[in-house]
Amino acid sequence: MSAAQNSPRVVVIGAGIVGAATAYYLTRAGAQVTVIDALTPAAGASGASDGAVSVATKRPGPMMRLAREARSLYGALERDGVLSGLFHRRSTYLFARTAEEVALLESHGADLANEGERVIALTRNDLLARIPGFGAAILAGLEVPDDGHALGYQVVNRLLAQAGVVVRRHCPVRGLSIAQRRVVGVETDDQQIAADVVVVAAGLGSSPLMGIDDVLVPRKGQLIVTDRASTKGAALPGPLMSARYLVAKRAATPGQSGVSLVIDPLRTGQFLIGSSREEGCADRQTDARTVAAILRDALEVYPALARQRVIRTFAGVRTATRDGLPIVGHHPQLAGLVIATGFEGDGICLGPLMGAAAARLACGLEAQIDIDFLTPKRFPTPAMAT
Amino acid sequence: MSEPDVLVVGGGPAGVAAAIELAQLGLTVTLAEQGSRLGGAIHRQYVGQGESPLAIPGRHRRHWQGLALGLANAGERIRVMVEAVFLGVDGDSRFLLDDRRAGKVIGLSPKAVVLAVGAIERIVPRPGWELPGVTTAGGMQLQLKETGEAPTGAILIAGNGPLPLALGAQLAAAGNPPLAILERGEPWRAALRHPAAAVAGLRSPAHVAEAAGYALRLARAGVPYRSGWSVTAIEALRQGLLVSCQHVSGRTMQHRVAHLALHDGLATNSSGLPAPVVDGVAIVRAGDCREVLGADAAISDGLRAARTIARQLCPAAPQRELARDFERELAAARRMQRSIQTLCRAADWPIAPDTVVCRCEGLRRSDLDSLQGASSAREIRLLGRFGMGACQGRSCLASVKAITAEAGASFDITVADPVVQRWPLRPVSVVALAAFSDV
Amino acid sequence: MSGTLYWMGDAVAFRAGETVAAALRRSGIDDFGPALGELRARYFCGIGSCQACLVSLNGDSLIEACLTPAREGMRLSAALPLAEEHGHE
Ligand SMILES: Cc1cc2nc3c(=O)[nH]c(=O)nc-3n(C[C@H](O)[C@H](O)[C@H](O)COP(=O)(O)OP(=O)(O)OC[C@H]3O[C@@H](n4cnc5c(N)ncnc54)[C@H](O)[C@@H]3O)c2cc1C
Ligand SMILES: Cc1cc2nc3c(=O)[nH]c(=O)nc-3n(C[C@H](O)[C@H](O)[C@H](O)COP(=O)(O)OP(=O)(O)OC[C@H]3O[C@@H](n4cnc5c(N)ncnc54)[C@H](O)[C@@H]3O)c2cc1C
Ligand code: FES
Repeated sequence: MSAAQNSPRVVVIGAGIVGAATAYYLTRAGAQVTVIDALTPAAGASGASDGAVSVATKRPGPMMRLAREARSLYGALERDGVLSGLFHRRSTYLFARTAEEVALLESHGADLANEGERVIALTRNDLLARIPGFGAAILAGLEVPDDGHALGYQVVNRLLAQAGVVVRRHCPVRGLSIAQRRVVGVETDDQQIAADVVVVAAGLGSSPLMGIDDVLVPRKGQLIVTDRASTKGAALPGPLMSARYLVAKRAATPGQSGVSLVIDPLRTGQFLIGSSREEGCADRQTDARTVAAILRDALEVYPALARQRVIRTFAGVRTATRDGLPIVGHHPQLAGLVIATGFEGDGICLGPLMGAAAARLACGLEAQIDIDFLTPKRFPTPAMAT
Repeated sequence: MSEPDVLVVGGGPAGVAAAIELAQLGLTVTLAEQGSRLGGAIHRQYVGQGESPLAIPGRHRRHWQGLALGLANAGERIRVMVEAVFLGVDGDSRFLLDDRRAGKVIGLSPKAVVLAVGAIERIVPRPGWELPGVTTAGGMQLQLKETGEAPTGAILIAGNGPLPLALGAQLAAAGNPPLAILERGEPWRAALRHPAAAVAGLRSPAHVAEAAGYALRLARAGVPYRSGWSVTAIEALRQGLLVSCQHVSGRTMQHRVAHLALHDGLATNSSGLPAPVVDGVAIVRAGDCREVLGADAAISDGLRAARTIARQLCPAAPQRELARDFERELAAARRMQRSIQTLCRAADWPIAPDTVVCRCEGLRRSDLDSLQGASSAREIRLLGRFGMGACQGRSCLASVKAITAEAGASFDITVADPVVQRWPLRPVSVVALAAFSDV
Repeated sequence: MSGTLYWMGDAVAFRAGETVAAALRRSGIDDFGPALGELRARYFCGIGSCQACLVSLNGDSLIEACLTPAREGMRLSAALPLAEEHGHE
């Protein structure tokens, strides 16, 4: 297997941001890479999401540290030209509307600062000085100045182009070929593709492929796109995120459904407004009830939105896990199988970093960062057929 | 407001005819029209005092009078909502209307729906088509019918098919005949080559009379009708437009005008409309939004749609005697349309690199060409932003389809995701949508 | 004429029942101001489909001039300058 180690044949299942990043790092490492997607690149969550590359909203602890790493990788990729023009630095503005949320922002700000993140506590007046249109309901805020933004589908497209791999489209992988407790390839409708290593980065579609049952949960999010508020770039200096979002994010297992409001100023001058968290929903429908609730919330926060028209709504499906952490690592029993899924609402931010880690694992190396806490081994595995 | 049995969208002849028939069959109807008056494209109402100066053909006037009477007789059974824009069906199977008078979006759950949203005009992009002063021929005609007043200054009409003739004659009646009517096809030559088509066209006395009336008025006003001519480019001058035209023989000509009306045919206004059944609710299309067959057939088709729905909603009720054979009427209209198409057939010309293709986002053909490798509709939308602007692709996707097909694309950008209900079909104010309520 | 609306501050007469676009047309206003990609807004299709005729009403969200009935005292302006006044960057 030494020839294979120098130039292993790797099949990556899924051309979302994680699969695309894995393919990019694998080709750089000299692997022979095949990327397969059931549909087209970015057909899953990566093409139906917001693009906050944000530390501001992460759960304190290892996830916050991971997000900081992930964000600096974006910076490096942008500087190196790989993602030039696609990653943009901007502040995140968390805002509070109740006394409880004010307290939450305070403790969250302290947690961020503890990790070495720059934070600026803002009074209502400070906030108004930065964003004049803020509504009367806003009591205080927290600015996280070193965050950024990237559009998932643009990153996917660029990484695949940089990797020089052609994606096999409309080619769902139906199963893995297994011989002696080792994955030796994948099966599609019309062929078997041999591989030394298989990386499962198929988002929600990973479930039947990764040999671990019942850990992935769909969590739908509805998003709203408005017309342009500006023709000269983003209409706000950064996204406005509700402190209520932190309640969802800081909980160990954010099971609850609800709305965590984000008003994201896109570089086109449009707003992207989201989003619901609808546990157990994998359809991509949007409904007027939910959209109206999001918009009412958004108007309270930023009344100037009254000048806009909604031109589109869409929904994406986040892949959540039972314990709220992504799954990245070697399969507990099967050799030659690397899993990278379960990124819930953080995959645009974490995608390139996790792709880099998955690529190293696929090449038989240690990950460049500590991702032991993401190992699939934390879930029980059913006995595998060989 | 209570739930109607049937929602009818579109206040043109098809929608109004369907609403009246449904009411007569005992059903309650909400008739939603985006404009402030009923009438649709053909019966756009004159806002001035007395008679419109345009000399609208008697047949069309009688048809509308009949429909208006039917509406009045239907009384409470038909609730007319004007300035109400249909936004599509959401994931909860609500039929959404942007009720602009009330300033809010409402959701209906009717038992059945008729969609009668008419046709849109096809405009093949050419350099300068996006300039102010350039309108569609139908668009110019609607304002003319509404006001009875022609635009001032020199007007050129360049198109394909019969609509330019009607517009030209009506402009003449309003006192400002066009410089010329340019027809891209060569109907006289085509008639010699396809005599059957010409004969089929003559089999409808009403249409022949209408066309003869227009021709007479155009002749009296001295308006030349030039066949085989296309507009190839439009430039903005300090005052007005410079329109370059080319004949099939290669001859060229330029006109200085204040207004240019373009028309490359009609197409169903069906982009983004929901499927025939959503969550058990039958959605029947009627009139030009189902098949472009013209004003007379729109009425027949509206009646047909109403009967189809009535059969489903009240299967036990005795069916009313079919006094009319809708299928025959529609077949006759179809023959008429085919013969017009055969007689006026003209090839589209290539779209040059710097021609605006998507007006909403200001994208040109070269922007589309630079998307090499984008080999799905989704990528063309996401990466190229084609079809992502305010008109949601209604104006550009036909051209994008033609261009990508030329390049050998295997996908059809005009086909939407079948799994997901697309809404809003039209942009809607944030405030109105935030105020959403079910009825 | 039965009413007056305002286009970029200038009075425009209209007749009851007609659309904003018809009133602007009568006053010789074909150019509705800047649009994206260095294009201009203008009346085109007349049926709400092309979205080329968008104007701003009283500084609120945009409306189609071809669909909206003219009403007394309406203050209409080009769609884009509004956007620019609160843009950042
Ligand atoms: C509403 C919403 C907002 C979000 N906002 C943010 C945000 O602001 N910041 C952030 O960091 N993250 C955000 N996310 C999360 C982010 O979008 C996801 O975590 C990320 O896109 C996941 O990427 P992925 O590559 O793991 O999966 P996906 O993008 O879902 O890709 C999986 C791919 O695998 C393919 N596939 C599935 N099954 C098979 C099979 N059997 N064979 C072959 N191919 C298969 C699919 O077609 C798909 O293309 C948001 C998500 C949503 C839904
Ligand atoms: C601009 C134009 C001008 C035309 N002029 C002529 C002519 O002079 N002579 C002729 O014979 N034919 C003309 N036609 C063809 C004409 O469409 C048919 O002859 C006939 O009017 C078809 O009737 P209909 O009821 O199917 O559609 P239409 O008469 O077009 O009626 C459709 C109605 O639906 C409404 N509508 C559309 N979308 C929505 C929505 N989302 N929500 C609510 N309401 C909506 C429209 O405002 C319209 O009132 C024209 C077509 C167009 C597009
Ligand atoms: S002119 Fe096309 S939408 Fe108004």
